[in-house]
Amino acid sequence: MRVIIDGRECLARRGEYLLDVAKRNGIFIPTLCHSDALPGQSSCRMCIVEVVEGGRSKTVASCVYPVLGDIEVKTNSDKIRRIRRTLVKLIHASSPAGKHMEDLLERYGPLPENRFEVAEGEKCMLCGLCVSACEALGTGAISTINRGTAKEVAPPFKEPPEACIGCGACAHVCPGDAIEMKEQGGIRTIWDRNFEMLECTGCGEYIMTRQQQEYIKAKDPEGTVELLCEKCKRKKTVDGFRDAFKNTGF
Amino acid sequence: MDCIKQGEGTTFVREILDRYPKEQRFLLAILQDIQKRCGYLPREALELVREHLDVPLSRLYSMATFYKALSLKPKGRYAIKVCDGTACHIRDSRGLVDALEKLLGIGPGETTEDGRFSLETVNCLGSCALAPVMVINDVYYAKVTPEKIAGILRRLEGEDDGDI
Amino acid sequence: MLVCCGTGCLANGSHGVYREFEKMLKYADHSVKVKAVTKATGCNGLCEMGPIVKILPDDIFYCRVKASDVEDIVRETLAGGRPVERLLYTDPATGKRVKSHRETDFYKNQQKIALRNIGEIDPANIDDYIQRGGYRALAKALDKMSAGEVIDEIEKSGIRGRGGAGFPTGRKWRHCAGANGATKYIVCNGDEGDPGAFMDRSIMEGDPHSIIEGMAIGAYAVGARKGYIYIRDEYSLALKSMSRAIEQAKERGYLGDSIMGSSHSFDMDIVRGGGAFVCGESSALIASIEGRIGEPRAKYIHATQRGLWDKPTVLNNVETWANVPVIIDRGSGWFNSIGTGKSKGTKVFSLVGKVQNTGLIEVPMGISLGKIIFDIGGGIPGGKAFKAVQTGGPSGGCIPGSMMDLEVDFESLGSAGSMMGSGGMIVMDEDTCMVEVARYYTKFLAEESCGKCLPCREGLRRMLDILNDICEGRGHKEDMDTLLEICEALREASLCALGKTAPNPVETTLRYFREEYLEHIQDKRCRAGVCPDLTEYYIDESLCRGCGLCAKNCPAGAITGQPGSAYIINHDLCTKCGRCRRVCKFGAVGIGGGAVV
Repeated sequence: MRVIIDGRECLARRGEYLLDVAKRNGIFIPTLCHSDALPGQSSCRMCIVEVVEGGRSKTVASCVYPVLGDIEVKTNSDKIRRIRRTLVKLIHASSPAGKHMEDLLERYGPLPENRFEVAEGEKCMLCGLCVSACEALGTGAISTINRGTAKEVAPPFKEPPEACIGCGACAHVCPGDAIEMKEQGGIRTIWDRNFEMLECTGCGEYIMTRQQQEYIKAKDPEGTVELLCEKCKRKKTVDGFRDAFKNTGF
Repeated sequence: MDCIKQGEGTTFVREILDRYPKEQRFLLAILQDIQKRCGYLPREALELVREHLDVPLSRLYSMATFYKALSLKPKGRYAIKVCDGTACHIRDSRGLVDALEKLLGIGPGETTEDGRFSLETVNCLGSCALAPVMVINDVYYAKVTPEKIAGILRRLEGEDDGDI
Repeated sequence: MLVCCGTGCLANGSHGVYREFEKMLKYADHSVKVKAVTKATGCNGLCEMGPIVKILPDDIFYCRVKASDVEDIVRETLAGGRPVERLLYTDPATGKRVKSHRETDFYKNQQKIALRNIGEIDPANIDDYIQRGGYRALAKALDKMSAGEVIDEIEKSGIRGRGGAGFPTGRKWRHCAGANGATKYIVCNGDEGDPGAFMDRSIMEGDPHSIIEGMAIGAYAVGARKGYIYIRDEYSLALKSMSRAIEQAKERGYLGDSIMGSSHSFDMDIVRGGGAFVCGESSALIASIEGRIGEPRAKYIHATQRGLWDKPTVLNNVETWANVPVIIDRGSGWFNSIGTGKSKGTKVFSLVGKVQNTGLIEVPMGISLGKIIFDIGGGIPGGKAFKAVQTGGPSGGCIPGSMMDLEVDFESLGSAGSMMGSGGMIVMDEDTCMVEVARYYTKFLAEESCGKCLPCREGLRRMLDILNDICEGRGHKEDMDTLLEICEALREASLCALGKTAPNPVETTLRYFREEYLEHIQDKRCRAGVCPDLTEYYIDESLCRGCGLCAKNCPAGAITGQPGSAYIINHDLCTKCGRCRRVCKFGAVGIGGGAVV
């Protein structure tokens, strides 16, 4: 497939998402809700671009738009810039305190005085990444609730979620830094629940919660959960190799 | 309306669950059956559905708050729905809601303390030729005016006393 | 004898009439020369005049029949062969009573294809449907046509989807037929959620077999063995009628294994909708059938390739499916001869709001808006001035009175900033505030949006903020530009059709009724007297006869005066409910307010 992005010819596999093609070719398209590990949210719509195909132009979200034919793409036309700016104003009104705003203001600021009542202190822009992360990596302890303008992310009955294992995937993936996670004295607090942290047997650093370990065990009763941090795991592998080499006499 | 409190236990939930294979696609239908039976989704029932289908509770809660046919709070013995579809809206359905609010002392989405009445506005019941329309427990009232509402409620309460 | 038992007539008490007839006829049978058969039918369309009773073969049409009228009908018409004058329909134009409904303007200008059987058959009886040619098209398709020929025929007919976007039905089927995979699905969208629309409900209630037959033909054409019909949970009568019809069709072998002795097998189930407008959007509807919340997904890959459970799926709405058997039966040439260049056939509309004859109509594409509203609809009641007509549901637009020559088809409605949608047509008069109408639809959409994508959720939230401000007297002049700015973001950047079309109500009212926005913003005045904060009622001394009716009806006790002399409204007490204006027989209660007064 031949794709011309902002005048530059790029190659793409059939069905590959436009955002990935652009990225590979070093062409920047802004995103908020995109994560390579959890692709396809397509909720923030910041990644919109203009696609010209067969003489007709349309606006698409590049993170979920598959390349299926020869197309021309404009990632930064006047129209696209104008709409992105409107989106930034909307985001600023609804989640002005989110970490994502820093980057947005740098790129699109300064913004005019907001016409709307700004939700002071709000960090969440409802991108849905936390919910996807919890479904994919955790236990599905949280979800979006309600719909329309009443939508929010919450645990069932808005109570501390019983199903949560405190893995923190939701907090790590959040672009707004909107999910509070604290660690103190070997206790992690998230979603109003406390979790006991387990230490790395190598270096003593806290690496996971007890519930997380139990969850992994339950998922794979045969396997063993090694309580090692990434660094110590690597060291162990290297040490293992060294021993193996030593034994073979090299 | 509260099936569980009336000592019926949760057998009815099991009866409903037994009618459906353990597949996620029946989740909405199961919740609707429980809703129909109870007038709302009791928490205990949701726990049973969660076990039966092996889905996270969060998904049930998400469904229950997304779909308007489902509710987590009990409805009144008389569930009053005022249609606020376009045809009703431009024929002053707002006036009906105002009158009901005044008479019952509750707003849309609420239930009176004695559990007799609940009030909600709904989007178009497809009876636009009869606008404005009000529905109480599946009985349609056509071309209602704010003036007629007190009489309609009084007649209901009359029936009610007769029953008890 | 046919008694209309559509939801509209039922609410007006038609079941009582039906039972009364049954009772009377049981006892009075010996005196009636011809044995009368009472049938409960689906909706006749003219719901305003319900309950409706039709008597064949003379085709006598009675309106607003009460149970107490039944005795007269049996005695006069059935036994005596004379019509009961007082129950006949009065032509609003001539003031004359007409005997048959075919003579009325309401029916005369219509052409019924999708509604062909409604009001004529008992939907509970499959034989009624078969008698009127039902399942003949399915037999023809299975016996004499290949799957490809069926698709050719549908494509040549030029029919486009009746659910909203108007995608060519034949092309959709062809895509699905050509898609890889052995498992394919047929889906019928019966989640009619547009406020002010009840076309699909009426077909499901009144002629369920036409939908089943259409779906069975579609399934044969694309190679599907399983179908689902998604019906709004609120439509209890439609649910009952459809499930009974499916059972009957299974018993008779029109559904199930090897249909009518062919090698084609097709079965269908009903899925009850959960009460979410967004589920009318195809990918959200599919999510809902799968047992998830109704969040749409990007449709860059069509459902015909990857739809229900990721299998190729054809999804059409109720009215489209109901058209299919007729096209196969009478041929694509016949269907193609009706309508305009790119819009073929007829369209069902629910004509409601401020119009004389409210109800369901079916008209050929290309008929003018004026003809619909004034000839069929009988114009605006109460001598009020016509202002606008809203078409296409919440995502449609408001077309002003000056455009009544507009021909109704997909293209012209689109170019006017509105759309065909599923066929709601809401007439508005001088008492309708166009800014408030925009606010109403925006509020509806803000609540009914799934809330997933940012432009739709936040854009609608902020548009509603602005419109609330304008309606409550806090609007700024720049607000109109801000609205248009957000509209563009919604149209271009939203994930699904709900968001992409959500700006229509605001954009069309800004385009055609800008002066009303300006009045709200600058003069702080609502000319229709709808926005309470911008309305002040006053009594015109020169017109007031001092009857005191206004004071008697005022719920706030805000009107005082002496009988015989002009009454006065105390503005501190007035709640602006407008009842005084409605009850005044002399038009003495006027609307002022804002900077003008």
